[in-house]
Amino acid sequence: MRNEHSQDAAENVSAERRNFFKKTAALSATAIAGTGMLAGTNAMAEDDPVIMNTPDWGHKIGYGVTKNRYGMPSPYEHNITRRNAQLLSSGNWQASIAMCPIQDLSGIMTPNGLFFSRCHGGIPTINPSEWRLMIHGLVEKPLVLTLEQLKRYPNVSRVHFVECPANGGPEWRGPQFNSIQFAKGMMSNAEWTGVYLKDILKDLGLKPNARWMLAEGIDSSHMGRTVPVDKVLDDAMIVWGQNGEALRPEQGYPVRLLLPGWEGNLCVKWLGRLEFAEEPFYAKEETAKYTALKPTGKAIQHFYANEVNSIITNPCPEKPWTDLKKGDLVEIEGLAWSGMGTIDGVDISFDGGDNWVEANLKGLVLPKSWTRFSFLYKYEGKPLILASRARDDAGYIQPTIDQEVSVMGVESVYHRNGIASWEVTSDGKVNNVQVRSEFKDVDGKMTIVGEA
Amino acid sequence: MYKFDRKFILGASAAAAAAFFAAGCAGDSAAPAGANSDDTLTYENGKRVIDGGRYYATVNDKRGPYYVNTDTESGGYTYGRTPTENELNAWNTTVTPWRLPPEGEGTVEEGEAVYEAKCVMCHGDFGSGGGGYPALAKGNAYDNVKTLKYQRLTPDHEGPIRVFGNYWPEASTLWWYIMEGMPHPDTRSLTDDEVYALVAYILNLNEMEIDGVEVDEDFVLNQETFSKIVMPNKDGFEPNIKGPNALDDVRAYYANPANFGAQKIASADARCMHDCQKDTVKVVPITIEQKDFLPPLSEVRDLPKVEGISAAEAEAKATYEQSCAVCHGAAGMGAPVVGDKKAWAAVVGKGMDTVYSNAIRGTDAGMPPKGGTDLSDDKLKAVVDYMISQSK
Repeated sequence: MRNEHSQDAAENVSAERRNFFKKTAALSATAIAGTGMLAGTNAMAEDDPVIMNTPDWGHKIGYGVTKNRYGMPSPYEHNITRRNAQLLSSGNWQASIAMCPIQDLSGIMTPNGLFFSRCHGGIPTINPSEWRLMIHGLVEKPLVLTLEQLKRYPNVSRVHFVECPANGGPEWRGPQFNSIQFAKGMMSNAEWTGVYLKDILKDLGLKPNARWMLAEGIDSSHMGRTVPVDKVLDDAMIVWGQNGEALRPEQGYPVRLLLPGWEGNLCVKWLGRLEFAEEPFYAKEETAKYTALKPTGKAIQHFYANEVNSIITNPCPEKPWTDLKKGDLVEIEGLAWSGMGTIDGVDISFDGGDNWVEANLKGLVLPKSWTRFSFLYKYEGKPLILASRARDDAGYIQPTIDQEVSVMGVESVYHRNGIASWEVTSDGKVNNVQVRSEFKDVDGKMTIVGEA
Repeated sequence: MYKFDRKFILGASAAAAAAFFAAGCAGDSAAPAGANSDDTLTYENGKRVIDGGRYYATVNDKRGPYYVNTDTESGGYTYGRTPTENELNAWNTTVTPWRLPPEGEGTVEEGEAVYEAKCVMCHGDFGSGGGGYPALAKGNAYDNVKTLKYQRLTPDHEGPIRVFGNYWPEASTLWWYIMEGMPHPDTRSLTDDEVYALVAYILNLNEMEIDGVEVDEDFVLNQETFSKIVMPNKDGFEPNIKGPNALDDVRAYYANPANFGAQKIASADARCMHDCQKDTVKVVPITIEQKDFLPPLSEVRDLPKVEGISAAEAEAKATYEQSCAVCHGAAGMGAPVVGDKKAWAAVVGKGMDTVYSNAIRGTDAGMPPKGGTDLSDDKLKAVVDYMISQSK
């Protein structure tokens, strides 16, 4: 209903029109750019013009259902996008990563167009009718499937996050990004639809000496990774669906491997070949990269699960508290996840991790999935160091940065899940900080400087 | 305690404690029963979960929170067919420590020639890397193994070198990766001999030996010599993944959180709630801020600025970004870089007929026909026009 003041006008359109033109002339001095129709003759300075006036969308007919047959977000949301940084690219944008704007997501599902994206040889455009999956090696019955045949298997849908194990990896030595999108945006969460690999293998006769599976992509990078059969026979999925529609090209269209909770890189996209073998394959992305170098000089290879982790999404550098006034009640909100199980609980600290209180979980709490946490806080305009600490049902709790660095050093690159903190300044600005001790390195052993 | 005003600490703690009693305590104290008991950390066969995590068995037609139709889990599906021998061979080109590369050979000298023609534009002179592309060598591989203990604790510390020679555990990985993944704009285009030659050249750059023999200019790498490569850092990785006990070794490794920097607690009650930080901690702010973001961060909700280009130009731009920017978007690739006025003035100086013809047919300088696309001639010309328009 048009925001008119006069009962007569609402009942009598022609009277209203006459009124309108008179009023428009009278009000031209207070017209507000961007509003189409001016209505309130009685508008006072304290009245909000967007309430007093009728904007274009309030009286002009909108566009038809024939436009945007595949729907798009409001054009006003154009700043909510994935983002890149040259620092996180291997020379070109075809071997690079696009970070998910986790600061702007709600709930636990990531819209497919905002899902973080990583590729090693660009994103291929694959014709689904020319896609094949080959399963061979140590199986009694090797198999070739078309996409139609694959989709004939009874399907399951599961909500899981996919996280690059380098999420947060640029910050082992200290904070670098004053942005949650770049500090923690190498991850997203979706409902995946596909078939459990163990259900396909039932008919293929996996040989007893099969210990490892190679998963290989058919894109130009032909990226491969070795997976232990334990995971294959537990919850490994071959998926074609993402949040109710086909996988997006960036997520491996038409088919990817999904290893719930494990390194995103292991969830091979544009999947084409699965080979079972007695010995591992030593692919490039499990030797040169995705190995975590420790101060001992030894590197962890086959580092599978993304460990328990969390981050406060509100506030964060992109979503500060600068609009709050003392006494306002505000929800501290965040995401917790674990590739090793289900989130059991999350604690919040206001003093950089010295003292903790338990937050509430909210919404769906699912295994190997993003889980929301919430804490209601009375804003006092005081400086804070906000931190969150998640734990899971396998018994893990997030380490402090000191605990993690003492084992992993600062050259690990991957699997950083130490407690993250935000500095909230007295004027509500939010900055990325780390609460940590200074270390020295004594013959492969990390030691805290100044510790008794 | 670190640099906080004591009053602030007390204030924040008091506020937090009040909120704790109001909201936190009742809601989450009930952890799932048996969350940390051992039966949830093993598979049904009694073996520990391989990644150190939790196992969800199917109980009463539910797996964790999900209902399942267990009737679908018994197999009996007859979809698909058996691959032919030729199909298996066509796709199974993987080279591993237990599967040698195909027959062929190449020398270091030949490898250098291939490298100069197809690799140097990204990986730099003598594999020095640059522009984000990885270095292939940084001196003597055997000497550089010791750098793996280096920790860049401050900017003046030297960090570990992690290039092929001193870091990778197996040479098979290099052969396989070059064959399948290189060069970036046109993978699977090298011959087996070229791959042998390139591997030989990279071994040479890393100052490596095979069976006590230095890989010098005349060294011939073939199946036999390749099989004798021993990588200097082959024992530099954990857990063990080789041999019949590999999976149990991995299991045992991830059963111990101390191996991988994780923390476990016996129960939720065992976690530290007060005075948890060490006295040595400080609040460390960003010192060198990285903010070269594309597009720049913005939380503003407004209408996007309309780019004044036509639909055809937009299509040409999209094609350029998709297919041409790999080479034309970065200096050092040998191709004229879009935006480089001087380079493009020289191109256009040849006359547009020649420019279009080169774009369609390709050039000896490395431009593949139609840039490797399958565009129509007209669409390709529109892309060329777009690239020129961006370089004036």
